[in-house]
Amino acid sequence: MGTVCLYFQVHQPYRLKDYSFFRIGADHNYGATQQNYAILQRVADLCYLPANELMLKLIDRYEGRFKVTYSVSGTALEQMAQYCPEVLESFRALAATGCVEFLNETQYHSLAYLFSREEFLRQVEAHRQQVQTLLGYRTTSFRNTELIYDNSLPTALAGLGFKAVLAEGVDRYLLNNLTPNHVQRSAEGDMAVLLRNYRLSDDIAFRFTDQSWSAWPLKADTYAGWLKALLTQEGVETANIFLDYETFGEHRKRESGIFDFMEALPKYVLGNGQGFATPTELAATLADTSTTYDVPHPTSWADAERDLGAWTADHMQKDALNRIYALEERVRASKDDNVLEVWGRLQTSDHFYYMSTKYWRDPVHQSFSPYKNPYDAYINYMNVLTDFEMVLG
Amino acid sequence: MRYHGKILMLGWEYPPHLTGGLGTACHGLVNALKAYVPITLVLPTFSEQFVEERLKIVGLSAQEAGYLERNKPVHTDVKTVVVDAELDFDPYPVGIAFEVQVAEQRVGAAAKPLFNTKEPYGPRILEKVYRFRDMAVEAAQQEDFDIIHAHDWITVPAAIRLKELTGKPLVLHVHSLETDRIGEQHDFSQNAVYELERKGMEAADLVIPVSEYTKKCAIKNYGIDAGKLMPVYNAINPAETFRIEKPGDEKLVVFLGRITYQKGPEFMIESATKLLTKYKKVKFAVAGTGDKLDLLKAMVAQRGLKDRFVFTGFLPTPAVRQLLAQADVYFMPSVSEPFGLSALEAAQFEVPVIVSTQSGVSEVLPNTLQADFWDTDRFANFLFALLNYEGLRRDLVANTNKDLRHLTWDDSARDVLEVYSMVAG
Repeated sequence: MGTVCLYFQVHQPYRLKDYSFFRIGADHNYGATQQNYAILQRVADLCYLPANELMLKLIDRYEGRFKVTYSVSGTALEQMAQYCPEVLESFRALAATGCVEFLNETQYHSLAYLFSREEFLRQVEAHRQQVQTLLGYRTTSFRNTELIYDNSLPTALAGLGFKAVLAEGVDRYLLNNLTPNHVQRSAEGDMAVLLRNYRLSDDIAFRFTDQSWSAWPLKADTYAGWLKALLTQEGVETANIFLDYETFGEHRKRESGIFDFMEALPKYVLGNGQGFATPTELAATLADTSTTYDVPHPTSWADAERDLGAWTADHMQKDALNRIYALEERVRASKDDNVLEVWGRLQTSDHFYYMSTKYWRDPVHQSFSPYKNPYDAYINYMNVLTDFEMVLG
Repeated sequence: MRYHGKILMLGWEYPPHLTGGLGTACHGLVNALKAYVPITLVLPTFSEQFVEERLKIVGLSAQEAGYLERNKPVHTDVKTVVVDAELDFDPYPVGIAFEVQVAEQRVGAAAKPLFNTKEPYGPRILEKVYRFRDMAVEAAQQEDFDIIHAHDWITVPAAIRLKELTGKPLVLHVHSLETDRIGEQHDFSQNAVYELERKGMEAADLVIPVSEYTKKCAIKNYGIDAGKLMPVYNAINPAETFRIEKPGDEKLVVFLGRITYQKGPEFMIESATKLLTKYKKVKFAVAGTGDKLDLLKAMVAQRGLKDRFVFTGFLPTPAVRQLLAQADVYFMPSVSEPFGLSALEAAQFEVPVIVSTQSGVSEVLPNTLQADFWDTDRFANFLFALLNYEGLRRDLVANTNKDLRHLTWDDSARDVLEVYSMVAG
């Protein structure tokens, strides 16, 4: 029997305030506190609170047969604790049901994996502890920022006890009849790799409100029918539906019917004879016969290219990334937790995403950025970084 | 289907007599357009070196009484040698009563000394405008044409009279407006230039502003119907550019243009002052001259910034190119800039550009740093970033290079042809 693996990404960065060069050397507070607070409140009202309530209701209704997975970034968890404790409370309630898996990621939703393994591991550990502290949950599976993955990721995570790692099902690496609908074995490190089924995921994340789409308006019974058609195929193990949690109520408004869709979905999936599973449960099905997913170059779940272009293609992005990671030794030498925290927050991938000129006109990119254009994003970041470098001495 | 009629074009500035963007734009457009339609271009002055294939130029300065004999089209290879005229500081010192005095005079021998000068505007500008009307109308009546295409207010009297006499449709090309030049806060009820612009746009069948920005100005300040405003952007011919490496690590910010209200030079000084509180390894080159030059120098002296500023005065084209080849930033904080061709030239030299949002060029160069002309805090922040953060310059230049590939005069010419098709019906 095939299962559906529903995983939702929850993330909020610490956005930077409007930091003019006048402030350099004089102002060492970089956060856009008001803006971060307001955005978290808005998204909590539109998405986190009602969606969590819905998931709790579904878990209750189906008595353990409905399961769901989250990855909540460290910067999101911290802002919830700071600005909106009732959201944290509802995630704790979800954790307590036993039907929810929380994934480990990097504390700052960073690109550290690409630039410093030492810093990467520090952030993985910090996030594990934070999820334990704030949600009372011990993580057993991992997803890297923006599903960035290559063969050496499982190796980098060796010794941390992770059963599964999540990744994008990238067409150019799905050769020889490989599909995202099998639990794959990593090419290195002997870990289960769960691959996002981007077609089924994007049906909800993007096409759900597309009125020119032939399946619009998408109903839960139709979608469950597609899942059934897939999961009843010979040898298919899982349908991995990975999306941003903010799809519910924020990216797709309540009026679109997205909550009704989600509420009705388990009824049809379970009615069709399929079930739900979490990544760690799926990892247990890894068998000697499992196929190997071989990804020599890093992939992500972003853009059509599924590469790192959204964060690293431009000169500005490379420049900013090189400068922030060049500080590693000085930051560690400071032995100052506050300095380490500031440095970590400046590593959040969103800062570099905002600087992308390649995707400037892309509506998905635009909807995330608090800046008018990528140049403003870069200038603001570099002003902050210049001050931070001075603080480091 | 593409438009195939004959065009009578009324111009004013044209190489070698250039004081601003009008002549450069007219030349660029005409040379692209002539590949598609026959054009007779009527100009106040005429230079043998600008006689070109498929383009007939009627230069009125060469005329005594019966003009056309000496101006049969001459076919040569296209050859362009630009010689710069001294800039006219204030091209529009116009009083309202002028029209009456000159309107009744006869065309004739008096025309030659009036137009046969390097100075296209000057204090007798309205006299020239009406003399041009009478001579151009007489010259044009010898010509075969289907559409009248006139450039800016100086050709408006001629254009309106020709339309009245021939019934041919009129397209008015607007390169700049009086409200840009002296500021929209003025009282325009007694302004003859404003009045000509308004009459011209009203009389025209369609109007071609050089940007969406200018279209908005025409609607807001002149009450022109939005439906007849068809913006066509200016462009730039591909050209060889070069870099000159400067000794030392001092950076160079370039301001280029008339030192007048319109160009916002005080905002440049204000931004520079703010920048210099934090960053000192930079000089500002101010190239151009105008009625605010003395004021500007006084501001700089008063702020103790004399060693950070170089006032070059008016620069001829080769010297402008030398300057751009050394520039680290091109800064154009214009209060109201219909287009801003010089920013395209700077971009061609791979100099990152800071422009005001009150400019037409900001619409076609999205990969520039833009702020409202009065927002000197933002300008200073941009300057600081460009002088310190290398990634910014590289991405701005790389992306602007791509934008420039789509800004050809041929594209502009084809947009103009569509406007012709519309007025031809």
